[in-house]
Amino acid sequence: MLRIWFLSLAQSTLGQYMQTSKWGFAVVEAIHLLALAILGGAVLIQDLRLMGLVFKEEPMRRINRDMGRTLLGSLVIMVLSGIALVSEEALKCYYNPAFRWKMVLLVAVIVFYFTLHRSAINRSTEESRAGDRIIGAISIFLWLGVGVAGRAIGLI
Amino acid sequence: MPVLQHMCQVIYDSPIGTAIRESDYAFPVIESVHVLAITLLVGTIAVLDLRLLGLVFRGIPVTRVARTVFPLTWSGFAVMLASGLLLFWAEAAKNYSNPAFRIKLVLLVLVGLNPLIFHTTIYRRVHEWELLECSPWRARAAALASLSLWGGIIVAGRAIAYF
Repeated sequence: MLRIWFLSLAQSTLGQYMQTSKWGFAVVEAIHLLALAILGGAVLIQDLRLMGLVFKEEPMRRINRDMGRTLLGSLVIMVLSGIALVSEEALKCYYNPAFRWKMVLLVAVIVFYFTLHRSAINRSTEESRAGDRIIGAISIFLWLGVGVAGRAIGLI
Repeated sequence: MPVLQHMCQVIYDSPIGTAIRESDYAFPVIESVHVLAITLLVGTIAVLDLRLLGLVFRGIPVTRVARTVFPLTWSGFAVMLASGLLLFWAEAAKNYSNPAFRIKLVLLVLVGLNPLIFHTTIYRRVHEWELLECSPWRARAAALASLSLWGGIIVAGRAIAYF
């Protein structure tokens, strides 16, 4: 079922372009990396604030509004450039265990972000509680897991 | 052989350089740390740059944003420098003639000069403008220079493997 999606992605116009273009993959990969830098910075500031380690004087909602936008904006760029990267070697990715881990962790962190993480941010007060610190730490580890698994795709 | 090239060859042939190069895991593990620490170094300094440009945290004083991100940025720098030196140790002789590596080094020098100029000029009077939503043009220029140079360093760094 899923395999068909990967096959049609490989055969799509995008896939055909990525497979034949000389610089396509390199350029899209550079965009993916640049967006990673911004995404990682936003995740760190948001979660360290949730854990009460930075910007203690600023209200959580204030930090979250700006970093949330930055995070989601760069995430959109990463997902779109990521789809283009996958289209270049879709079936190879489909069978790659690191790629599968990355997708599972990515779905997990996005679900986590919009549920537990969001409610921790919404109920957070000036003083960060133990629960908030745990949520912030889980968030950082999940995002880090996506990154480590993503890095491993090319290595295995 | 030029002296720099000779030095690169000596580093390349050293026991540690050879060990990293010949190990199955050392190089990819160090390289992964180097790639992921981009978030700690560039991701955090980008928050200050975006604040200077008035895109995030308007209303939070520039100095408070700077104080918050600098420890993170400097930790990122320490990780990047240590992992980067180990990668160079393993590949020095190849890096020497690699055009992407040379461009990356030039950009690193420029990105180091940028805060030197920034801190000795417009940042000296930061208390006059740190609450402005949009910073003076010289501060915005420094922020744009920082974002473009770091971006260039990431792209050039990735390109090293293509040559």
